[in-house]
Amino acid sequence: MFQYLVRRLLDLVVVLFGVSLLVFAMVRFIPGDAVAIMLGANTDITPDRVEALRRQIGLDLPVYEQYWNWLKAALRGDLGTSIWTGTPVLQEITARLPATFEITFLALVLAIVLSFPLGVLAARARGTSGDVLVRVLTIIGLTLPSFWVGVLFLYFFSLYLPWWPAIGYVPFTTDPLGNLARVALPTVAVSLPMVAGLTRILRSGLLEVLSSDYVRTARAKGVGERGLFYKHALRNAMIPVITVVGVQLGYLLSGVVVIEQVFAIPGIGRLMLGAINERNYPLLQGVVLIVTAVFVVVNLLVDLAYAWIDPRVEYS
Amino acid sequence: MSRTKLLLIAFAALLGIAFAQQGRVELAVDQAPVGLDPHIVTAFSSFAVIGQVYDGLLEANADLGLDPALATSWTVSPDGLTYVFQLRDGVKFHNGRLMTADDVVYSYDRIMNPDTGSPQASRFTEVDSVVASGPLEVTFTLKVAFAPFLANLTNLTVVPQEVVEANGGSLQQVAVGTGPFMLKEIVPDTYVLLVANPDYYRPGEPKVAELRYNVVPEASTRAAGMRNGTYHIIPDVDPATAETLKGARGVTLMGVQDLAYTLLGFNVSRAPFNDPLVREAINYAIDREELIDAVYFGNAVEGGPLSPGLVQWATPVSNFPCYASNPDKARELLAKAGYPNGFDAGLLTFGTIQVVSDAAQVLQAQLAEVGVRLAINVAEFGAFVQAWRNSDFDTFVSLNGGATDPDGYLYRTFVTGGSTNVYKFSDPAVDELLQLGRTTTDRTERVNIYDHLQKRLACNGPIAHVAYGTLFSAVSDQVTGFKQLPTRGLRYLREVELH
Repeated sequence: MFQYLVRRLLDLVVVLFGVSLLVFAMVRFIPGDAVAIMLGANTDITPDRVEALRRQIGLDLPVYEQYWNWLKAALRGDLGTSIWTGTPVLQEITARLPATFEITFLALVLAIVLSFPLGVLAARARGTSGDVLVRVLTIIGLTLPSFWVGVLFLYFFSLYLPWWPAIGYVPFTTDPLGNLARVALPTVAVSLPMVAGLTRILRSGLLEVLSSDYVRTARAKGVGERGLFYKHALRNAMIPVITVVGVQLGYLLSGVVVIEQVFAIPGIGRLMLGAINERNYPLLQGVVLIVTAVFVVVNLLVDLAYAWIDPRVEYS
Repeated sequence: MSRTKLLLIAFAALLGIAFAQQGRVELAVDQAPVGLDPHIVTAFSSFAVIGQVYDGLLEANADLGLDPALATSWTVSPDGLTYVFQLRDGVKFHNGRLMTADDVVYSYDRIMNPDTGSPQASRFTEVDSVVASGPLEVTFTLKVAFAPFLANLTNLTVVPQEVVEANGGSLQQVAVGTGPFMLKEIVPDTYVLLVANPDYYRPGEPKVAELRYNVVPEASTRAAGMRNGTYHIIPDVDPATAETLKGARGVTLMGVQDLAYTLLGFNVSRAPFNDPLVREAINYAIDREELIDAVYFGNAVEGGPLSPGLVQWATPVSNFPCYASNPDKARELLAKAGYPNGFDAGLLTFGTIQVVSDAAQVLQAQLAEVGVRLAINVAEFGAFVQAWRNSDFDTFVSLNGGATDPDGYLYRTFVTGGSTNVYKFSDPAVDELLQLGRTTTDRTERVNIYDHLQKRLACNGPIAHVAYGTLFSAVSDQVTGFKQLPTRGLRYLREVELH
């Protein structure tokens, strides 16, 4: 087990190195650098001044030299400074993490809390009108894009409940109630498709397990329906659920860009989008690195969770 | 306590309330400032904030005239080469130090120093020397008489040397100026908070205690926040969102003629755009009225090379024959130029500004009718800028900002080898007029020169000027005193009151 952990963490280092190299090369393939964007398409400036600006932010060095300098600093824990503002990249990222983590965490909790009863209900009442209703609702949940739901929420709340602080973000530590009121709408918007997805997976997982041999055997030896369901079936149906939760978590961490945009939430997604648009190379490198690390760690946790749920799973 | 005394106290308290700066005005802006150094930044989101923190020697007013700011008066020598400015006495930087002539000289030197990398340096290339000729007197000596010089001085932002040095030469993260508001707090991607400067040199201003710039990237979210009273001012509203805010309760939509314009630019180093006849034909093929309806919902006007907002300078479009849409005439000119069946060419544009990509599509459709078949390439903005700078296009559609002095836009754009002459346009007659416009200081004569220039450029120049939009701002009824500037500047925020 310990060996397994060490190996996985070593993998993480390799992945991070590969990703950093890839991102470094990729962003430099996009035409137009930070200076070009800074100056835009109408600034009165002579070519030698443009060169001076490029020199000032270190864009005049050969790419391999830029990467080498970046790597040396990164190994010391210094991710550089934002090209545009001169703020340390790490500081920019840590300022955005709370909002993203909070919405991700709450959306996940909401998804689990809602999808378990729904999935169990649908599986137990298979074929009834309740089951059909849940299935129809989940199809709707899966097909509604969360940004659209977000915009609807926003309009509804600002027109009919104008006292509800629907836009923006305040940290939980400064104003707990204000924080929860503001994150509620984006949380619900991003978690809806997750609720729907998990419900469907849980339902089909349960149905599959319920028709397996060991359930029939358990039933035959007289295990009660309730115990059978929650003790024997549910546990096995959870393996695919955990897998999906892991993938979704990674998606949420980096993929709530649009929701952050709609609700003006200062999160990682917006930071990354801005870094790409501004060709803010060090910032983009930093964000991708952090998001990759979180993604890999979440996957590791998911793998560990398999063993916790299913003792037959062994790590070597 | 006697009754009179009580009354007096009550009266004093009332006065106190009436005069104290109070309240916080909430603005909704689309982007956080990208850096705060007034000598380096180019982004509007940065100027919106630091424009309240710093002052120049002069500032533009709502009529595009020049008002004194840090300079109170100035004299110009008869040959137009020496300008002597008297500076305002007793102006304090936000760190408490008094501003002197040395600060003006230091700020000028900082802009001109190549290590600073200031894009504003090109505005002062005609300046020979700047010296502090007294504690509150600055003398500028020019190499040649240069009419737009005063207008360019609005860009000479005065910064304190000790703050620059204490921050390793960069002002990107600090802001210590002489302006009406002081920087208090920046929360990344959330808001920028400014507080009133108690030592501001204009008595009674600013009138509110705090200004908060809330960063709200989505236009529809800004509009929703305006409707429910979260925000008091949206300084810049796009035409589509403006339509949705018209008639919203408690919200006033303000509009002013923008100096910025949508344009169709031609690369005149490539055939067939090297032929003035082809460029004229395209002007005839464009139906500007139709485009204004489709793209701007009618909230724009036709204009030539200078914005109709520059009332004293702009030549009315009735003087440009090619502005009367006439497809037959266009086909005729194309045939005369040797393209009876039209031709194919590329059109470069970008997607981040709605009116730009919309205008590109309308132009494509209009020109197709006369046989000019344009293939649109909607590039990512950075890629667009790169291609634009390298003149790597047949034609392009974009939105360009204007300037308050005609020279500010016309010279760099149309002079042979000009810094934004990506069209590779070169016309000796135009060059001559441009030089003349710079060195002539007599106003009537200058107007005459630019009139000639506009007539020469309108139909055969490297740019088809398409439309000048209305610049919209949304203002809550709780707020009075806000005025828009065609330059998009926000100097009137210091006169805003909250009720």
